[in-house]
Amino acid sequence: MVAGCQLALLAIFLGGWEYITSLDRQTAFLFGSPSAIFGFLKTMATDGSLARDTYVTALETLLGFLLGNLIGTLVGLSLWYSAFVSRVVQPFVVALGSIPIIALAPMVIIWFGTGLASKVAMSTLSVVVVALVTSYKGAMSVDPDQINLFRTLGARKSQIFRKLVVPSSLNDIFAGLKLTVGFALIGAIIGEFMSSSEGLGHAIFKAGSLYVIPKVFAALTATIALALVLTYLVGWLERLLKPWQPER
Amino acid sequence: MHQSGPGAAPPLVAERLAKTFDDGDVEVPVIADLSFTLNAGEIVSIVGPSGCGKTTLLNVVCGLTPASSGSVLWHGAAPQGMPGRVGYMLQKDMLLPWRTALSNVTLGMEIKGKVGMEERDKARVLLDRLGLHGFTDRYPATFSGGMRQRVALARTLVNDPEVLLFDEPFAALDFQTKLLLEADTVRLVREEGRSLLCITHDIEEAVSISDRVIVLTKRPTRAKAVYEIDLGDQHADMMEARQSPRFNDHVRAIWRDLEVSGT
Ligand SMILES: Nc1ncnc2c1ncn2[C@@H]1O[C@H](COP(=O)(O)OP(=O)(O)OP(=O)(O)O)[C@@H](O)[C@H]1O
Ligand SMILES: [Mg+2]
Repeated sequence: MVAGCQLALLAIFLGGWEYITSLDRQTAFLFGSPSAIFGFLKTMATDGSLARDTYVTALETLLGFLLGNLIGTLVGLSLWYSAFVSRVVQPFVVALGSIPIIALAPMVIIWFGTGLASKVAMSTLSVVVVALVTSYKGAMSVDPDQINLFRTLGARKSQIFRKLVVPSSLNDIFAGLKLTVGFALIGAIIGEFMSSSEGLGHAIFKAGSLYVIPKVFAALTATIALALVLTYLVGWLERLLKPWQPER
Repeated sequence: MHQSGPGAAPPLVAERLAKTFDDGDVEVPVIADLSFTLNAGEIVSIVGPSGCGKTTLLNVVCGLTPASSGSVLWHGAAPQGMPGRVGYMLQKDMLLPWRTALSNVTLGMEIKGKVGMEERDKARVLLDRLGLHGFTDRYPATFSGGMRQRVALARTLVNDPEVLLFDEPFAALDFQTKLLLEADTVRLVREEGRSLLCITHDIEEAVSISDRVIVLTKRPTRAKAVYEIDLGDQHADMMEARQSPRFNDHVRAIWRDLEVSGT
């Protein structure tokens, strides 16, 4: 039912778009058209650039996503260990979180070059603070009575961390993972915008500067598909890692 | 179980306990001056007005919160850190949703060492005795409140605690489930010679299960009255205890105490 409505909505949207852009050539030039986009997707698929660009961007995104979440989550969770340290670093985290990632791009390129590393760095940077904040929030929202229970059972702090804090934080960590799929992708694409020779961001940038609007949309479609696949993978991982959650 | 010959120190003694919380610049005196003894095999209940400091008292007794003055003696000695062999139960069951009923029960043994076949069997036997046969490998998310509190009770008892500290663990359950669980608890406590310090709002519950009931005053709290409960040898049966003529006398007396101190 839901899927049916979604398909219908998509069909109406694409149909309307196709119809309006078929009326005159200028709108078609400015807004592309689904059929032209599909045409470009087909040529990009046959000449291999679609697979290549998607692969490059997917790799950058995935590496940035993993690295950013790994670092952010490790730091965020371990801040639970020391209320003092977490109070000390709090303003710095807020400050880092408020830096627009795009402002870092020129420096990142100077530091990491124009290859894969700079894109991964951009992607990591746009993920890491969010991952840190969500996992820290998860760790700090553990029920204090639950901690007391562990203490009466004789648990050491490291046992409380492993057996209580980490699993309790999984909900928040996964919320962070879902949120940061998009951020990782944005980071990678911004990196490609700044300087690159391949990738979906590169394709979008190049087609855009040549005013080939349908090709921009074609690359954008591939980007959206990539985001959907990654989001789906995170959802699958969550179900795998949290089997105790009742079916809804 | 614990061998306590005559003259041995009682499992738990509180001597002139006082607790004041330091909330920034305001001092909140919660416990004024409280002394009591829990002997081996005894059930002692504590009743008192809401917010008088009962939970605080329990946390001080089991070492979660340091006392401001006075001492808590376990077998005649003040423990370094957490006292051993204490079972602590709250109104919240605090089951871990990512663990099955069985591995929730074995949590304490896991913290102390390794969990092998023997430990798991012990947990399984206890869950069976508490009527949870067939649910041992399920996650608690689908359990009823009564089932959850049974798992929590098993988690407490499986570590062979000498002393149980209860903070109204059954208060949120319906009357029938509550009676059944109380009966189970009292049976399991008395059978194995454990001691129980039980905080409750329910005066009838306190009188029906206890050897002694301590009534507390408002905050900062001290003991207002202590009742030795003697209902004959009928403690084993929850309903029969309530039929005893002295039962009503005790209940009424405690009611009056609490009314005067103002709930
Ligand atoms: N950490 C704390 N800092 C300051 N005040 C506290 C703290 N913990 C408890 N109190 C205060 O101590 C008083 C007693 O609290 P406590 O939870 O022990 O009462 P209680 O008798 O268990 O209440 P109830 O019957 O509602 O369970 C309350 O007024 C509470 O506000
Ligand atoms: Mg309380």
